[in-house]
Amino acid sequence: MAKSAVTKKKKMKNYNNAGYFFVLPFVIVFLIFSIYPVFRTLYLSFTNFKGFGTPEPVGLQNYARVLTDKFFWRALWNTVRIWGVNIVLQLGLAFLLTIVFSDIKYKIRGLGIFRAIYFLPNLIAATSVSFLFKTLLDWRYGTFNQVLNAIYQFFGVSKEPIDWLGSGNYAGYVIAVISAWMWFGNSFIMLMAGVQGISKDYFEAAAIDGAGRWTVFGKITLPLLKPILLYVAITSLIGGLQMFDLPFLMADKASAAYNSVQTVVMYLYKFGFETGTTQVGYASAIAYVLFLIILAVSLIQMKVFNRKGD
Amino acid sequence: MNWKKAVSVLLVSAMTLSMAACGNNGTNTDSAVDSTESGSAAAGGEKLVVWTLSNDLIDFGERFQEQTGVQVETVVIEPANYPTKVQTALLGGETEPDIIVGEPKMLEDFYDAGFFEDLNQAPYNAQDYADQIVDYVWEVGQDSEGIQRAISYQITPAGIYYRRDIAKEVFGTDDPDEIGQLFKDYPTILQTAQTLKDAGYRIFSSDAEMNVFSGDSAWVVDGVLNVDQARYDFMDLCVDLYQGDLTAYASQWSTPWYQAMAGEVPILTADIQSSADDSVNVWDATEFAEATEGMEKTTVFAFGLPAWGVLTMRDNVGETSGLWGVCSGPSSGFDGGTYIGISSQSERKDVAWEFVKFCTLNEDTADWWIEFSQGDTVSLKSALEKHKDDENPIYGGEKLYEFWLKQAEGIDTSKVTRYDQGIGDAWGNAISAVKIGEKTKEEAVSEFYDVIESTYPEITVNRE
Amino acid sequence: MSTFDKVKKAVLYVLLIVLAVICIIPFLLTLVNATRSGNEIVTSFTLIPSTYLKENWETVFEFFNLFKGMWNSIKVGVPATLLTAYFSAMTAYGLAMYKFRGNKALFMGIVIFMMIPGQLSLIGFYNLCTKLHLVNSYLPLIIPAIAAPGTVFFLRQYILSVLPPSLIEAARIDGASEIYSFHRIVLPIMSPGIATMSIMAFIGNWNNYLLPMIILNKNEKFTLPVMMATLKASTDIQRNQGAIYLAVAISIIPILLVFCFCSKYIISSISAGSVKE
Repeated sequence: MAKSAVTKKKKMKNYNNAGYFFVLPFVIVFLIFSIYPVFRTLYLSFTNFKGFGTPEPVGLQNYARVLTDKFFWRALWNTVRIWGVNIVLQLGLAFLLTIVFSDIKYKIRGLGIFRAIYFLPNLIAATSVSFLFKTLLDWRYGTFNQVLNAIYQFFGVSKEPIDWLGSGNYAGYVIAVISAWMWFGNSFIMLMAGVQGISKDYFEAAAIDGAGRWTVFGKITLPLLKPILLYVAITSLIGGLQMFDLPFLMADKASAAYNSVQTVVMYLYKFGFETGTTQVGYASAIAYVLFLIILAVSLIQMKVFNRKGD
Repeated sequence: MNWKKAVSVLLVSAMTLSMAACGNNGTNTDSAVDSTESGSAAAGGEKLVVWTLSNDLIDFGERFQEQTGVQVETVVIEPANYPTKVQTALLGGETEPDIIVGEPKMLEDFYDAGFFEDLNQAPYNAQDYADQIVDYVWEVGQDSEGIQRAISYQITPAGIYYRRDIAKEVFGTDDPDEIGQLFKDYPTILQTAQTLKDAGYRIFSSDAEMNVFSGDSAWVVDGVLNVDQARYDFMDLCVDLYQGDLTAYASQWSTPWYQAMAGEVPILTADIQSSADDSVNVWDATEFAEATEGMEKTTVFAFGLPAWGVLTMRDNVGETSGLWGVCSGPSSGFDGGTYIGISSQSERKDVAWEFVKFCTLNEDTADWWIEFSQGDTVSLKSALEKHKDDENPIYGGEKLYEFWLKQAEGIDTSKVTRYDQGIGDAWGNAISAVKIGEKTKEEAVSEFYDVIESTYPEITVNRE
Repeated sequence: MSTFDKVKKAVLYVLLIVLAVICIIPFLLTLVNATRSGNEIVTSFTLIPSTYLKENWETVFEFFNLFKGMWNSIKVGVPATLLTAYFSAMTAYGLAMYKFRGNKALFMGIVIFMMIPGQLSLIGFYNLCTKLHLVNSYLPLIIPAIAAPGTVFFLRQYILSVLPPSLIEAARIDGASEIYSFHRIVLPIMSPGIATMSIMAFIGNWNNYLLPMIILNKNEKFTLPVMMATLKASTDIQRNQGAIYLAVAISIIPILLVFCFCSKYIISSISAGSVKE
């Protein structure tokens, strides 16, 4: 590390060294509580550790098994499918709302209240959300189908109720919609925080210049929102590929839909923790393969965003 | 400063809440959590930490504390997370808990991991007590080398709980032996189901009621996956029950399922025929449909549950109390049971052994538990003998302990493997896919084989 | 504004309100169902409260003391949130405004870490806590909050979009120390972003289940979600959905309160406009 005595001639560099002070607490805690466990997992991924007993090294065997495991790839496809539907709804809605609320012409009021309400679903723990929706969506006894049935009867149509969570055709989409419902307010707040971080001077100046709504949006709002958009997109993808809580809690293990909503992390969990299938070494390898996939996708995503900005 | 304002708001709201919390603490001192904690007053200073997955051991712990003065701290952990919790703690080298428990499906992994103390060695010498406990329970508590690791205070053979009033009305008898004949094999069960449906009832609340009786042999024999004919028959039974509209379509352990114990439950779709009205001609579809319009309820005839189902029924039968009976199913099955053992890392093994003996081998405790739980079935032979003439009022005075003991004698513990949960779940998926028509039987079975192959590389799968 | 625009505006409001209703209904249902019996809940659907609140309350509190769990959750959640807010802002500022060696590497490390599925580091984490004698203590749930990669990542992006470097340079010319500038200039400007992330962090802590479940071994230390999970082990409560809804409702209320306070704060601080200088 550069000593301050040597670098005194450059004043800026002296200031820059103060950066170490600001990041030091983070780095210390990060190394101990985050990096250490992660490397232990890496070590375990090269062993046949079953959750107990002594781990024995098995080389790349676990990784070879992941790559040839058709259920791993199916889980990945399930994850991408659910996330895809979810992100289109979630970010689309959040973005639309941001446009509406930052519109200089309509001046929609009540942002505070609406934002708070839209964020509400994000407050409840996934356990409660899943419990609530499982009850609402129950095939025979759920409120949702009761209401649907009433509507059908009103129009004189006789239809078999849909088993929303028990059928492989629907369960994935149902979970995607619920997930979007939970998270669109979150994305909206982040996008709005970005818009409000933009100095009002810009907008006032634009208004004086007589710039139209879409010009302001395209020339000021969007470019300045870019870092936040990038953040929301990346975290959503990262979060999406690690999707676990909702599908895990909502899908019944014995249901036919289980195989179509089993995400990668659920598959990982099956080997990491579940009774009877615990193979920690294999689960660790799944974790790292998933990590590499997320890493690759994120890098591509960042590249794309940077190019568009230039 | 805005930031400080945020912090102060956060703190103020936190404090307000905490005051509200404190204000309410006093009024709830009799909660289960509190009562186990308040034992610090106990004399002797000895202590015992118990990690369990059902509430039963809270009561055992309290009684043990009363009698011995040892302070017992009972922690209840949700069953789904119990193995994770125990594994992380013991692998982390924790000396607490002193007492750990397990259900049969978890036990083999726990044995292999060395979590349970060897109870055959001195000073425990568990083998001396072998003939006091019902045989199959004793065997489940042994590891693959026959060393005793855990003992259960209950036996959990499966039986069929049925409504005597409906049995009399539809079959002309409510005698357990004769009703048992209606459940003697899968084809007979289907016939019984159809008869009941025609009379306006449903045989089961869910189509999973026969789970406890499924399979004639172990899932894995000598490292080879073993899918016997009974498994396929079971699949057919579930599919037929479901597709033939023969159950009330509840999921097992869901609220509607519980409610079916108390009487009528709603059925939603209009095309389901359901009526308890004798005057309706069930053979004429049009007339029947007209007559039952707006009637969306049915009553369930039977539940398939282990012996601890007595407790579930006790809490849920409501006004149907006294109308129930219990008979045997198509085979001898068992499910669950809390097996108690000593953590191999405990530093209080002597007290822990006293606790294990207190829960499982003490006739006094067994008497108390039978009365306290209002009908749980203990594993101590002498207590079962003593109570064999007890009549249970919920079941019209049926002598249940005699019945369960008889059922327990038929149980074959060699069917239990560590793979039961994983393979059972996969088989359950296959059954669900077939019954709702997402896959053909061949597709579902083939997929099942794929799952087993990729989940357990060590199991040989011979496809048929 | 033309009539056409006014109609469009009205339509927008209606759509916004519909969306709001969709977000609120499950909360209403939870509160309403907390006052109904299990039987009523299964057989019919309504938004009109019933009369079983007292029975449900008794069922829940016979089993455990939810307020105790709530207090425990506060004891974990409040310090953890404060640590996350303060140290993440500090780290984000360090990363965004100082060009020291290792800056890029650290940032990459943070981004990469966010991509690692959390579930599997559990065993390693637990081992560590055992070695440090931190099992059954709140410290392993609080201290790691200092290093919250996601929050740092967001705040770094946030600083880049709201904080003009000229502001800091001006302070330096005035002779302000780096730490003084951070506390007096940077924190106020960042406060909307910090507040947003603090709410997220607090909610995350409040709802966190897996880690407390693994770390805490004593009933009297259980946080609310861990306590709620033990509901599943109680057959008495299982059969009564009303009681479960009540437990869920009670667990949501404090977090709703906190959110009400904080969301008001965000709005006022934003309208004050701290960037104008």
